[in-house]
Amino acid sequence: MARRKVRFDVESRGLVEYADDEPSAFASMLGGLIEANVRTHPEKERDFDSLVARVGIFVTDIDEGVTLDFKGGQLIVHNGLEPKRTLTIRTDADTVMSLSNLKIGLLGLPVYYDGVGRGVAAKLLRGKLKIDGLLPNVLTLNTVTRIFSIQ
Amino acid sequence: MAVTAFSDEWAKEFKDEVNKSPVYKTAAKGWKWTVGLVVEAEPDKHFPESKGIVMDLFDGEAREITVGTAADAQKCDFVLTAPYSRWKEVATKQLDATKGMLQGKLKLKGDLPTIVRYTKASQEMTECTTRVPVEWPDEK
Repeated sequence: MARRKVRFDVESRGLVEYADDEPSAFASMLGGLIEANVRTHPEKERDFDSLVARVGIFVTDIDEGVTLDFKGGQLIVHNGLEPKRTLTIRTDADTVMSLSNLKIGLLGLPVYYDGVGRGVAAKLLRGKLKIDGLLPNVLTLNTVTRIFSIQ
Repeated sequence: MAVTAFSDEWAKEFKDEVNKSPVYKTAAKGWKWTVGLVVEAEPDKHFPESKGIVMDLFDGEAREITVGTAADAQKCDFVLTAPYSRWKEVATKQLDATKGMLQGKLKLKGDLPTIVRYTKASQEMTECTTRVPVEWPDEK
């Protein structure tokens, strides 16, 4: 008998879990944002299902970070930076908000030529947005940006 | 002339400031939800009862801003909750509202993607609160 691949409905499966008993406000916000994005955008669901990476985000002006552990269809959010991260983004709170406002353009690439995109690119050039592990993981960064973007 | 924080007069002044702001008008284009601010009581700061600010905001305009009970504010589409002294920090620019939300100092209830999309509008709204001359109950 042919096997049928069972695919869980995105509405019913638990997409995001928190590693800590008391997730920080920042962890809850990022986890909540990503969950809402994936549940409402099928194209983000495909990215979410395929992404396996450990991404750290550290907000320099509140001195707080989280680790987003993407496990191909599930995300575990940790308070603080966990070891063995694929990518680590370090920037201020406003830029974190701008990253989630980046538009996604042709071929699923983030748009860096509109107002928000230029602002993010300028911060990268000025060293106010630092991404550790960027060069070998550009495609991973693009996937994370697509999942993270509310646009 | 300074008005008492979170009073009816304050709400009117705040609404006028929001409607005077071209930045808010542009940044909040498309916004169509109500926002409630719950200001929790701090009796030791001469703020004995919790209050709720209900903001009817639509497409870059503040249609109405009223002061009522915390329960009134909790019925809004988006609700931000913090103690009196925390709101005072926001209105006196000692605490940035975005950072406050990320740190959990301001508790947010509502659709996160929508809030993130309108970050600039909420920042400008905070700026508007700083332009209202206020008399703080704990400084009387």
